[in-house]
Order: sequence, then C-alpha cells, then structure tokens
Amino acid sequence: MRNCKFEEIIDDYLMKRLTEDEKNSFEEHYFNCSSCFEKMVERDELITAIKYKGQEIFKDECVPEGITKESIWEKIAGFITPKQLATAAVSAALIAVIVFGLLFLLKPTPPQFFINEDAVRGGQITLISPVWESDTVPSKFEWKSLGENVEYRIYLYDNGNTKWEKTTKENFVVLPEDIKKTLASGEKYSWQVKAFSAEGTLISVSSRVQFKIHNPE
Amino acid sequence: MGKESEKLKLEEIYVKYRSIVSFRVKKSLGVYNPDCDDVANEIITNVIEKLKKGEFRGESSIGTFIYTITSRRIIDYIRQKSKVLKHIPEPSSYPDPHDQIEDKERAEMIAEAIKKLKPKYREVLFLYYYKDMSREEVAEKLGISPRRVSERVNYSQKLLKKMIKK
Repeated sequence: MRNCKFEEIIDDYLMKRLTEDEKNSFEEHYFNCSSCFEKMVERDELITAIKYKGQEIFKDECVPEGITKESIWEKIAGFITPKQLATAAVSAALIAVIVFGLLFLLKPTPPQFFINEDAVRGGQITLISPVWESDTVPSKFEWKSLGENVEYRIYLYDNGNTKWEKTTKENFVVLPEDIKKTLASGEKYSWQVKAFSAEGTLISVSSRVQFKIHNPE
Repeated sequence: MGKESEKLKLEEIYVKYRSIVSFRVKKSLGVYNPDCDDVANEIITNVIEKLKKGEFRGESSIGTFIYTITSRRIIDYIRQKSKVLKHIPEPSSYPDPHDQIEDKERAEMIAEAIKKLKPKYREVLFLYYYKDMSREEVAEKLGISPRRVSERVNYSQKLLKKMIKK
C-alpha cells in the first residue's frame, strides 16, 4: 500500500516547523485523509509523552558527555572523609525538607498567558517584531523575555530552509549586514525562537511567524 | 428509508469528524483553553445543521466543507479574544498531560515503553523530539542519513505500538 505524501510533514506540523500556508494546507488535508489523521494522533501522543516525561525517559542521555555517574562518585569519594560526608548528608536532608516544604506551598500551575485579561493558552515565547509586514528590511528581531538564565536560539527561514541562526541570552538580536543584504523586497521570510534552560534543556518554542518585506514603490 | 439512511449518514459524519474537529480546535486554541470543548461542539452542531439544510452541495469534499467551517469559527474566536492585541501568539502544542487521567496513563505507558527501546532508537527520539533538532541535525550528529533518521523514528513508533498492545 502506498503511503500518503503528506505523511512526511506530520512531524513538521506537530513540531510547528511549517509556514502558515503549509500548515493550512496540511490541516485541510487531514480533514480529508483518515490515514494521515490517525498517524498524526499516534505521533502526537508519542511527542507529548517525550516532552513531559523526557527528563525521566532520557536520564542517561541527559548526562553531559564525558561525565558519568561513576566518575562523579569517584571524584567525591576521593577527597571527602566519612565525617564530612555525614555532615553533607545532614545538610542535604535539611535542604530537601525546606525545598519540599516550599514546593508544597507553591503549588505549580500550568503555564498560561493572557489576552484581554483572559487566560487562554499554554506558555510560550511571544514574538514581538517583525510580524506580518515590514516597510524595510528588518534589522532587529525581538521577542518577549522568559526571564533570567534562559538562552534563546533564533532561526531565520527562507522557504522553510534555515537561512541564518544565532544564540543569545538577550530577548533580541540584530541581523548582521551580510544577511540583511540577502533579504529581498517583496519576498516572504519566517522566523522562530527556541528557549533553552541553563542546563541546555529545551523549555519553549515560539510559533514560526512569517513576514513580508514591502516592495518600495 | 431515505430519512433512515440520511440519519445514519449524519451519525457517521458526526463520529468521523468529531475527533478531527476537536484535534484542530485544541491545536489552534491550546489544550489549556477551557473553551475548546464548547467551540468544537458548536462547530460540529453547525456542520450537522448545514448538512440537514442541504447547504453542502458537493462543490468540494465533505472534509474540506467541515475544515472551512472549523477554520472560520476558530478565526472568529481568536478575533473576539484579541481585539486589542496586534498579533496572536500561537498556543503551546504540548501540554502537561497531568490534567486528564487517561492521557497521563497513556503518556506513562509510552514513556515506559521508550525506556525499553534499543539505544539507537532512543537516541533518535531524544535528539529529534526532546532536543527539538531537525532531521538533518540529528543525521549529522549520529553520522547517518536524514532518511535513516525518519526510518528509525517510524520504526520506533511501530515497536512502541506493539509493546503497548501486549
């Protein structure tokens, strides 16, 4: 049985890697193709499980390269005496009691943001500019900060291909002149920002926003 | 007989498209949005009413007809909610499934099954979905072709399906 050609973009749709036009076209498609819809629901379950149980599932993979659990314990055992170890254990227990106490008091709430004072969606990065249209080639890309100790990776796409990317701790980047020169009037481009924690774990992904540079007429 | 078969057809349409409409609404409005179920119900009721009134004339497929009604309602909803905002940020696609017990159990089953996969499959899932790398980036990191990355992801899914069915 031949597979549907749209199957290849199921992941890109679920991982928000499609442009607005591609997204609309795929959405119309899955209203007409039961096979793609079924496969997409299965894949969506898999991705949801990975996104939210990932730290537990991939605890081995999450250990930074070159550092193994054994080597950490070997290092600790190498220079701590039993007395120091006991003191450390008591301190750790006290810290754990305080942390769990605080966690109990600060009941976690799902991430959300507000539109017209109504909480409507899950948390994510909000792109500020450019969106929709731009009279000139944009020199600055800006998004809403997610707080401190967050690293952002910005991607600029041309026809779905990554044209340029940069990592920063600020909530904006200035487009280098050489890249700016390659952006043409009348053309559409898109951009996206991903946020990573200090440990390098992906914590949020923005939507992929398309913008068009006006033709100077 | 005519009315019986018409009723049956409407029920089939309802059963088939209810989940598709609901999925699309949740993807567009965000699963945390408490209005999702109401919006999806409203859309599917509207679809059935339009079908009963004979407004579907077969100019497009039934899927496209329902897709168009769904898209219009979603746009209306977003407009209502964002009169002040210049642009609408899209919702987070992947909620913590802790709210729904069934979803939570399902996520836990899948997570347990992933832990049992061979490392070569687990590492692809880790880089591609958890680290959010592109197919090409994963391929480069693992020294395999992008096509092989897709094959491993698809094969992992097949294995997981088997493991969960057991």
